[in-house]
Amino acid sequence: MSQTLAPDAAAAAADAAPIVSVTGLGHVYPSREGPVHALADISLEVGQGKFVVIVGPSGCGKSSLLMMLAGLRHQSEGAILCDGRPMSDPDPDRVGVVFQEANLFPWLTAIENVAFPLALRKVPRAERQARAAAMLELVGLADARGRYPHELSGGMKQRVSIARGLVQNPKVLLMDEPFAALDEQTRMAMGEELLRIWSETGKTVVFVTHSLTEAVYLADEVLVMSARPGRIIDRVAVPLPRPRTYAMMASPVFGALRERIWQQIRASAR
Amino acid sequence: MSPRAIRWTIIAGVLVLWEVLPRAGLVPVLFLPPLTTTLSVAVTEWRSYGAALAVTLSQVMVALLFAVGGGILVGAIVGGVARMRQVLLPVFSSLYAVPLVVLYPVFTAWFGIGSEAKIAFASVYGFFPTMLSTAAGIQTIDPNLMLTARSMGATPVQRLFRVILPAAIPTVLAGLRLGGALVIIGVVVAEMLISSAGIGYLITSSRTVLNSPHVFAGVLLVLLIAIGFDLAMRLLEKRCAAWSGAGRARPGASDVRPAEA
Repeated sequence: MSQTLAPDAAAAAADAAPIVSVTGLGHVYPSREGPVHALADISLEVGQGKFVVIVGPSGCGKSSLLMMLAGLRHQSEGAILCDGRPMSDPDPDRVGVVFQEANLFPWLTAIENVAFPLALRKVPRAERQARAAAMLELVGLADARGRYPHELSGGMKQRVSIARGLVQNPKVLLMDEPFAALDEQTRMAMGEELLRIWSETGKTVVFVTHSLTEAVYLADEVLVMSARPGRIIDRVAVPLPRPRTYAMMASPVFGALRERIWQQIRASAR
Repeated sequence: MSPRAIRWTIIAGVLVLWEVLPRAGLVPVLFLPPLTTTLSVAVTEWRSYGAALAVTLSQVMVALLFAVGGGILVGAIVGGVARMRQVLLPVFSSLYAVPLVVLYPVFTAWFGIGSEAKIAFASVYGFFPTMLSTAAGIQTIDPNLMLTARSMGATPVQRLFRVILPAAIPTVLAGLRLGGALVIIGVVVAEMLISSAGIGYLITSSRTVLNSPHVFAGVLLVLLIAIGFDLAMRLLEKRCAAWSGAGRARPGASDVRPAEA
């Protein structure tokens, strides 16, 4: 369909129908000290194929927001539309999730872990194997297919987890601080790796992190959230060209964006 | 010497002493008949010993089924449902400490002195450890694995069979090992106390007439059952716990990091 449209028209169509749209979302949950307002008045739109990063101080509810986008938790008010339909339950055809921990099943090999979501959907064995193998190839782990999670390093586990998140070919990949448990070097390499995977697959990514450098390095747009109740207090477009390089981190533009986000977070947390 | 070689040397040493000490007159034959005498009893009277072994084994099997099946089922329910856990777990834990053998006479009053009493007793005896360790295993499943399965759209039934049960296998196996051992003990002890057949019965009736070789032949058979059970468990553990790390960690696996650093 997109081939019949002129490039501008295609872009306009994508803008007109964002893949993820959140309107007036708020969340209140009861606790011993009375109701807690976790999220308030959140509205956002994510265009097809975009890389959006959510940052905010600890406890601002950015992970909760992501869980709601995944259909794993329910907001008390507002609506979430993904691909035009509400996200009331997890739907791996629309949304794949990668968590902070790789959460691989320790009794399954790397390829069995990647194929697991397909097995749940009763996809025939041969097709399962082929698709899982292709995903492992994509994340650069074709050689590790037969290994168990305890035989993989932290970075490798998280790659398997990304492959698993993508295996059902969802439109959106949600990532909840996926590299937070990794060491600094692995983390940098994984960021680069993720951008490569993103550009090869053309997925829409919504990525939560508390690292501002990671946010600016990865994102098309950074959404800055305030301390509780979490609101979106700034939307920072990152005009740095693609593909991103480590050298850009030293550029004045990068530094200025990072500083702007930092000031926002600091002001809100005060 | 490797630990394995040392182990076999010790076993061989014990067997040799078993033969030599009574023969040399260092230990009265009434206390310890020589190994060969004991074995020859088992061989010449293989008919009665074989029959007793069959009785005991079949009862161990049935009791194992009840104890382990019931233990895993109840353990899964108690471990999986928070309310059940709060109410029942303390009760079961305390019951576990009661020496159930004091209840065996009651069992014979209810079920008679045939196989039913033995099976019922050994089942109850093996039930508690299996149940308690299954409950513990279910309880300690990483909630993140459940969340992950949910994010992939796993139904509750799929979560039970594809996540909860596989994740609980190591602890269930530990319970099975303990429960199985107690079932064997339960059957044999019951036979020795009040019964009409089985190896335990044979041991006790030989003991009352001071027939030591017959007693020890029975003891050897019980030993064989225990060893057989242990081997079966090892096989099962090897098959089920391929991923557990303890059994399979490849030396140097952690060194094989890709070019991330």
